[in-house]
Amino acid sequence: MSNTGAVTNTAEWEQKCSHPEYKRIQMKKNALSKTIKYLQSAEGSAYIFIFPSIILLMMFNIIPLLAAFGLSFFDVPITLDSAKFIGIENFKTAFSDARFVNSLKVTAIFTAIEVPVQVIGAMIIAAFISENNLKNKFFRAIYFLPVICSATAIGIMWKMILHSNVGFFTYALSSMGLGRINFFNDTHMAIFTVAFISIWRSFGISAIIYVTAIQNVNGSLYEAAKMDGAGSLRQFIDVTVPSIRPTFWFILMTRFAGSLQIFDIIYMTTNGGPNYTTESTVTYVYSRAFSSGSQMGYASTMSVILFAVIMIVTVIMNKRMNSEDM
Amino acid sequence: MKRKLISVILAAAMTVVSLAGCGSSTSAKASGELATENGESVSKKADKPVTIKFWNGFTGSDGDELVELVDKFNSENKYGINVEMDISASLDEQLASAFAAGDGPDLVLFSSASRFTYGDYLQDISDIFDKTDLKKDDFIEAYTDYCSEGDKLYLMPMEIVGFYLYWNKDLFKAAGLDPEKGPQTWDEYVEYAKKITDADKNVYGSGLCYGYNYQMAHTLQRFGDLAVTKGDDGKWKANFDGNSGYAKFLDTYKSLVDSGDNPLTDDTDSMMTAGQLGMTINGPWLTSGMDTAGINYGIKAIPTGDADKMSSAEVIGMAVTTLASEDAKQACYRFIEWWNSKDDNGECPSEKWSLDFGYPTYLKSVLESDAYKANDKVMSMTNTDTSLRADFIVDSAFPGIGKIISDVIPQMTQPVLFDNKDSGETLTECQKIADTIVGEYNE
Repeated sequence: MSNTGAVTNTAEWEQKCSHPEYKRIQMKKNALSKTIKYLQSAEGSAYIFIFPSIILLMMFNIIPLLAAFGLSFFDVPITLDSAKFIGIENFKTAFSDARFVNSLKVTAIFTAIEVPVQVIGAMIIAAFISENNLKNKFFRAIYFLPVICSATAIGIMWKMILHSNVGFFTYALSSMGLGRINFFNDTHMAIFTVAFISIWRSFGISAIIYVTAIQNVNGSLYEAAKMDGAGSLRQFIDVTVPSIRPTFWFILMTRFAGSLQIFDIIYMTTNGGPNYTTESTVTYVYSRAFSSGSQMGYASTMSVILFAVIMIVTVIMNKRMNSEDM
Repeated sequence: MKRKLISVILAAAMTVVSLAGCGSSTSAKASGELATENGESVSKKADKPVTIKFWNGFTGSDGDELVELVDKFNSENKYGINVEMDISASLDEQLASAFAAGDGPDLVLFSSASRFTYGDYLQDISDIFDKTDLKKDDFIEAYTDYCSEGDKLYLMPMEIVGFYLYWNKDLFKAAGLDPEKGPQTWDEYVEYAKKITDADKNVYGSGLCYGYNYQMAHTLQRFGDLAVTKGDDGKWKANFDGNSGYAKFLDTYKSLVDSGDNPLTDDTDSMMTAGQLGMTINGPWLTSGMDTAGINYGIKAIPTGDADKMSSAEVIGMAVTTLASEDAKQACYRFIEWWNSKDDNGECPSEKWSLDFGYPTYLKSVLESDAYKANDKVMSMTNTDTSLRADFIVDSAFPGIGKIISDVIPQMTQPVLFDNKDSGETLTECQKIADTIVGEYNE
């Protein structure tokens, strides 16, 4: 009886196992256990840790980026409630828009002033404050202070200091017989003034990154250079600079991308004036999207063009950096 | 089972309540029972104790007072309405993203020009006069017209922002001018500016500011009237090319800068409050800075040039959005009604706002009040001729006002000042830009 029952049970069992629904459930179970096992592994748990960042990156970077690409082919207002597909019309308009072309020129000039001064200046400053002593720590803190200040506060402060008539610095220069310099309202000078404020604001972070890189340079290299009779300058040029090249490229690339996106300091100080000589591309994009036109599609188009420029420049720099490493 | 029964009862109760609300939504004057003309008592829609979201961009000291007034309304109103206020320095960006996401305020306070941007999200509130005790004829028509399109009213005025001529009485006195009398004409303005300017003391007679588009627009309008008007064919037309008034202003401004009587600056406010400017043109907010700095100043209407008399102003108003339910809309009406009405102590928030911040009133009843009449500062900004048109730089119905102000006006003034371009040629160039803008709205 029991044998018969066992046989019957086995047959039932086999029948059950061969049932498609059973197979499907089993496959699911296997897949689930494999996934759990993978997530418990070192590689899998790494994905769990970066998952929140991926979500944020998707929400605030990837999706808006894709949306901007999409919007650039539409005539769409700020409220996004109506959209008319217009193909590449926005791109055609952009390249025939004198203000947009001017804004690209202004951005290029600003970048050409800001990046070299920032990248090289911060490196030189870093060389002076790289040694770990109290004085250098104090100066590092001082140089870093503007980095943690808001662009609004910095803009207002410099606007008052350099005001053409009531500014403290302008008055001091005037008292020294240098005349009353119109820092913000001279069409030739305003871009330099804005670039100076931008450098002042952010060179602290570049300097601190350089300091970290310099501190990681192998000390024996300096000792060898000293034994060969190299002075401080020669050590800096032949030991420090080649050793911190990856950091140099990193700062160059990030500053380049940052300069091409300059907005806050300009918005707070000159708002693009005088006579559009400081109107950067992002400032113009902002004015098209929010200030007057509410042309979200056109503003997106200009952002996409700027994105393409930044991407090309960054890729070229990255290739150059990689070729040096090899 | 018991829980299910309670759910069914609650759902039924909610349905009954909502149906009751819908059925009586046609008219509501006040809460509870209202008497009709023949004395019969009819059931009208009751004001609901709802919470309304109220967004605005008043981030300065005006925002502090607005918070106080809103708190006062929340604690005093008999309907149990709660106004939840959100003040943002970037109201436009906030509204744009909120509306795009189908979210946002019930009540919003912004410039009447914003109705052209967010028009699809604003409700017609012309029935506010039927649903509250507000009287339409108490509002100065020029300002309500500014907020209307045809019969539809989109904003209720809350603040009238005009620009005025301010002069430093001490500098006038030092220059041998009558400190109690500002310039009556633009010729006098130029003449006074020359007399006041003292290069050794870094004092300038005139304070026109190229970076201040609104100042430029108000002044230009006095010289050459509206930049965009409706033509006989019913289409919008720009009036830049050949506008002798505008050309005259550009030449006047340029000559004042060249002669050193006007600083070349994008910030005249700091100079006026530092006592370095004899005259400037600005909004009422300048007075608080001058009061703090102890400047002895006078205020008057901007001299009229070749254009006719006008009372150009930007109207800031309260608008009810499409996100507001019927109950929320009624609650918004109650708040607007409270803002523009006197309480039992005879105090009116609108009047208090005008007197505290120096904004001219839009209510005829306030215009007649003793407190208002006794305030010299606000009276000097008030145009008592309520029939004057209020259009600012363009016909008040032209939707492209923002573009004209930010895209065309700088292109008028700055090439003349910085590139020494001829004013006539510059205006021809501006006409092309303006034609493109106007063309968009004629399509």
